[in-house]
Amino acid sequence: MFLLKGVLSIQAQSTLSNTFNLQFVFCTETKVSMAMRQTPLTCSGHTRPVVDLAFSGITPYGYFLISACKDGKPMLRQGDTGDWIGTFLGHKGAVWGATLNKEATKAATAAADFTAKVWDAVSGDEVLTLAHKHIVKSVNFTQDSSCLLTGGNDKTIRIYDINKPEAEPQEITGHTSAIKKALWCNNDTQILSAADDKTVRLWDRTSTAVVKQLSFDMSVSSMEYIPDGEVLVITYGKTIAFYNALSLDLIKTVDAPASIHSASLHPDKDFFVAGGDDFKLYKYDYSTKEELESYKGHFGPVHCVRFSPDGELYASGSEDGTLRLWQTEVGKTYGLWKCVLPGEFALFHIEH
Amino acid sequence: MRTPMSVLRLPRGPDPNSRGFDPDSPRFIALCSTTISSSTDTETDSVQIGEEQCARSMLRESFLRTLIAMTNKQVQFYMYERVKVNAVFVASDIDVLNFQVSDLQTPIGVQKEALLRCQDVILYSFDL
Repeated sequence: MFLLKGVLSIQAQSTLSNTFNLQFVFCTETKVSMAMRQTPLTCSGHTRPVVDLAFSGITPYGYFLISACKDGKPMLRQGDTGDWIGTFLGHKGAVWGATLNKEATKAATAAADFTAKVWDAVSGDEVLTLAHKHIVKSVNFTQDSSCLLTGGNDKTIRIYDINKPEAEPQEITGHTSAIKKALWCNNDTQILSAADDKTVRLWDRTSTAVVKQLSFDMSVSSMEYIPDGEVLVITYGKTIAFYNALSLDLIKTVDAPASIHSASLHPDKDFFVAGGDDFKLYKYDYSTKEELESYKGHFGPVHCVRFSPDGELYASGSEDGTLRLWQTEVGKTYGLWKCVLPGEFALFHIEH
Repeated sequence: MRTPMSVLRLPRGPDPNSRGFDPDSPRFIALCSTTISSSTDTETDSVQIGEEQCARSMLRESFLRTLIAMTNKQVQFYMYERVKVNAVFVASDIDVLNFQVSDLQTPIGVQKEALLRCQDVILYSFDL
């Protein structure tokens, strides 16, 4: 809260022996209201629906975002600004899944051209092409980026050693329908998979046997795994469900006003966001299950939504071909968002 | 009445002329030494990297000269699925992803102008 009168010009000596010239531009006596309206940042560039997106971890160069698109050209963006960095060129069909490793040095994509590809995420070069027998839908790196998990329409989960790509992958069969998502969990010792056979299965990596299985009345639309706290977020129909990732015990479910395609839990587990058929983004309180905010903006169903690794924003990908970045705490200065107080007050500081 | 959150600018979109991954960005300079994985594996020293770079530029230059030499000549393209076609080579795009050709002889007729996807080409040959 600020209270200011008149126009001030101050010259001040800082402790770093730089002289600052502080100019208050256009001051008024004003009490600041902190209720700001969400302004999403639209990232354009894709020409077809965006079907999947993933963030990297936090690296010395910030964090990054990869988007999978039906135009076959997945893109890498700076995570906090949405600025385009590069496009991975090479796939000959729609890209259904995309992921980055923690350090954002490698990317992997899953496509309708029956291949999964591994890319150098710094140079944009294609590093590996892994041929499959059908459309590949999901790709996921282990924590040390040494192995890649793939799953797709041939109903088989495969584990590739990236350092020995010519070697036959380890195969895990059991699903009776196309696999939508396959994720490493429990410190890369187990695998979680969701398929169109309306099941979510937990597999042991070494024995390749099913450890536990969840069955639903309808197909699971998305799955997110949060290693810190071992939480699994599953969406189906209008429901967002939270499970313990180790035991597959149900924690809670929340119902949304419309069919949900994807949901994401905030790293601090205080909020979760969801999006689906009604084009809107919903933000809920995780503890109370209360709907806090809903945002219109996309011109088509929302296919994917993910929180950034620092929880300051979440990104959504839509049928309308755009990605949108949304602030978790509206009003905070972060990335490209700048808190400018009402009354067109702005503080400039000029360093000599 | 809530004030909309201000934005410094919009996110930058893709460059229509390139695939990005700016080699002058701090991240690229710090993380990309050479692009041959074998070099990074054997921890080659700067002299060997220099030699590697010389060899690479020579090869690149030769390749580009072959593209120039190929212009307006009849080229045979051997592609996947036992496809062998003849065409007059016109140009390549900057990333060598597509070749523009004229009078492409196909089993269903002659295509006056066409684009060949380079990924689908196994080898091509022409007479100098």
